[in-house]
Amino acid sequence: MGRPVAIIGVGQTYHGKRMDVSYPELVREAVMAVFKDTGLSPEDIDGVVSGTMPSMMEGIALTHFYLADAMQSAGKPIMKTETCGSTGVSIAHTAYYWVASGLADLILAVGHEKMNEGDSQATMTTVAEPFYQRYFISGAPGVFSMQSQMWSVRYGISEEKVRDAAAFISVTHHEDAFDNPYAHIKMKVSMDDVKNARIITYPVRLLDVCPNSDGACAVIFASEEMVKKLNRKPAWVKAVGYRGDEYFFGDSDKAVWESAAQAAKEAYNQAGIKNPRKELDVAEVYNPFTFQEMLFYECFGFCGPGEAPDLVLKGTFTRNGELACDPSGGTLCTNPIGATGLIRVAEAALQVTGRAGAHQIPGAKLALAHAMGGVDQFNGIMILGSKL
Amino acid sequence: MSKRVGIVAVAQNAGAESKDNFYDQAYRVTKEVLDKAGLTRDDVETIISASSDIYHGGISCANAYYWETTGAFMKNGSRQDGESLFALFYGAMRIMTGRYDTALVIGLCKGSENPPNDTCTLMYSDPFYLRNVGLTETMAAAFQMRAYMEKYGITEEQCAKVAVKNLGNALGNPYAHRKGRYTVEEVLQSPRISDPLTELQCAPQSEGMVAALLASEEKAKKLSRKPVWIKGFGSSIDAYDIGDRDLLDGQLKNAAARAYRMAGIKEPAKEIDLAEISEPYAFQELMWCEDLGLCRAGEAGKLIDSGKTERTGELPVNPSGGVLANNPYVSRGLQRAVEAYLQITGQAGERQVEKKVKTALAHGTHGFAGQCHAVAILGL
Repeated sequence: MGRPVAIIGVGQTYHGKRMDVSYPELVREAVMAVFKDTGLSPEDIDGVVSGTMPSMMEGIALTHFYLADAMQSAGKPIMKTETCGSTGVSIAHTAYYWVASGLADLILAVGHEKMNEGDSQATMTTVAEPFYQRYFISGAPGVFSMQSQMWSVRYGISEEKVRDAAAFISVTHHEDAFDNPYAHIKMKVSMDDVKNARIITYPVRLLDVCPNSDGACAVIFASEEMVKKLNRKPAWVKAVGYRGDEYFFGDSDKAVWESAAQAAKEAYNQAGIKNPRKELDVAEVYNPFTFQEMLFYECFGFCGPGEAPDLVLKGTFTRNGELACDPSGGTLCTNPIGATGLIRVAEAALQVTGRAGAHQIPGAKLALAHAMGGVDQFNGIMILGSKL
Repeated sequence: MSKRVGIVAVAQNAGAESKDNFYDQAYRVTKEVLDKAGLTRDDVETIISASSDIYHGGISCANAYYWETTGAFMKNGSRQDGESLFALFYGAMRIMTGRYDTALVIGLCKGSENPPNDTCTLMYSDPFYLRNVGLTETMAAAFQMRAYMEKYGITEEQCAKVAVKNLGNALGNPYAHRKGRYTVEEVLQSPRISDPLTELQCAPQSEGMVAALLASEEKAKKLSRKPVWIKGFGSSIDAYDIGDRDLLDGQLKNAAARAYRMAGIKEPAKEIDLAEISEPYAFQELMWCEDLGLCRAGEAGKLIDSGKTERTGELPVNPSGGVLANNPYVSRGLQRAVEAYLQITGQAGERQVEKKVKTALAHGTHGFAGQCHAVAILGL
């Protein structure tokens, strides 16, 4: 419903430890890249949506002020969307609604994070509830490790199989990242490397975890008229889904993760998708942790509950598999949090427009982008297609 | 425009420091707005909140903390940072797409659990150049006030009159945090905070859970006998570095022009019956009146002298007492819209203005010397 909306261009920074640039310079790099990609200039833009994870990651509050010039937003209408780790997809949603409402024709969405300027785990510790929960679920790995354990116990999956499947995901994504010029971590990784890597929180080991990245992503959303006028190859927004769970970890079941399942269901209903594994060509799943990626496959209906490890090991979700998941290397290889969800959207847009370069999935027509946030609390989805 | 969006119910809590915890405050306001509209949580289709981590008692990802408290469990929702009028705009946009018929928008800020506001605004300063100087919103406002007085010959007394008017108006507002009958001398003789700003010309630090329930045209007509339509809205952000900006020629004109265009307003001074303006510093009400086109540039001193902006005047400005009386930082913009709604529907109680209000303006600002502005036009 609403007017049709499409993504007509994307820009990314070379993500990594970017000590060569300041935070605004980093953002400028992505914003200039999307203008170069589209041939548009800042004057053409009707409004800007900005977002990051907790603003305090970099020690600057309300970053839309600080980054106003870098985003070329001075003098323009602005929105500032923040929903923790799912920020990137929420920014895309805001831009989508802005255009779909008929109020704007060209909206620039910018997600950004310069994680190496701060301490990400210290920042994330402050997300947890301060009186009861912060002492034992501070930071990301603890929560996600508990979740993986909950899930594997629930479905009686053997420790060994889960470990193998997670290691397989790490190996394939690290390999994929070599074909993505913007990816942060590019290293050859073997199954043994993953299984013997330093333990972070059991069962998660170092190579099961995403890095701290500096990065920004800029995406331009356009109305149908603008798509025609500019003669751009569009990635049409087919669906947007979003759901949030309770705040207290422990109040809801994370093995059958309702917010993930419901957000996907909402999106599939809009896009008319019945069998996601068959119908989707690419899924850019937000996967900061290998174990958790398998949970998402199940919540998103790519397979039944408890089935993910077997299918992973069969190669169902590799680049040449039935449903390519994170051919970009995903969040596992690049995680500038406030940008990460928008990078998933950008990658999905590149795939359905055939512009993903060396990691293109041939003939991709329908792609899912996802981001997750909070203490296992939020899930957002955007589905993009090559046809309206 | 694709679809009309109406406000059908509003709720807010009192601004003074409360011993109620955040959850109690947020829950009660959410429940109140739903009850007023005769809806349950299940009837609300989408929820957009506004909050800022820096104004959230040391907890990051503020929206995670209060998600289910605002009724958003397993709902499609989102959150705006810094300015609660953005949440109003986003809720309206979502309805305008036709995808939703109801949206709850809520601004959340519990001032008493935060460090002093300027400890927070210092964190807007870039960490390399400005933060070391100690640049805060109050200091930036002091620069702006000095420049404004010098350029237009506005006097300190005229600026102080805004505080006298608004803190007096607040006597009729049960939600206001600071209120009282003051004289111009008392305002000017209150402690100097950042010269030329004195304490009574600077907003306090208040509690504010502020909610509005939005609905599509058809739904609004069912839910309310007198829905107030969101006729137009606009925002604009300025360049970052304070030295790059002309503090007397800011972005409010742009934000207002966008809102006026959408609402079809050509002569704001004539067409707007009442304005609720965010004036964290007294003189800013004068400046913003000019930028909003309610009077000509440099003439807001005369405007306040004339009494036209009094609660009983021709063009009441901040009959609620405005932000000087109640300053829940992030929620203050949406609170202006809520007050405008109450005036239009005749529910403003003791602070109800005498004239009939058909069209009202709500304004929000945040950042140094008005780096960012948002304007909404509400009307019957």
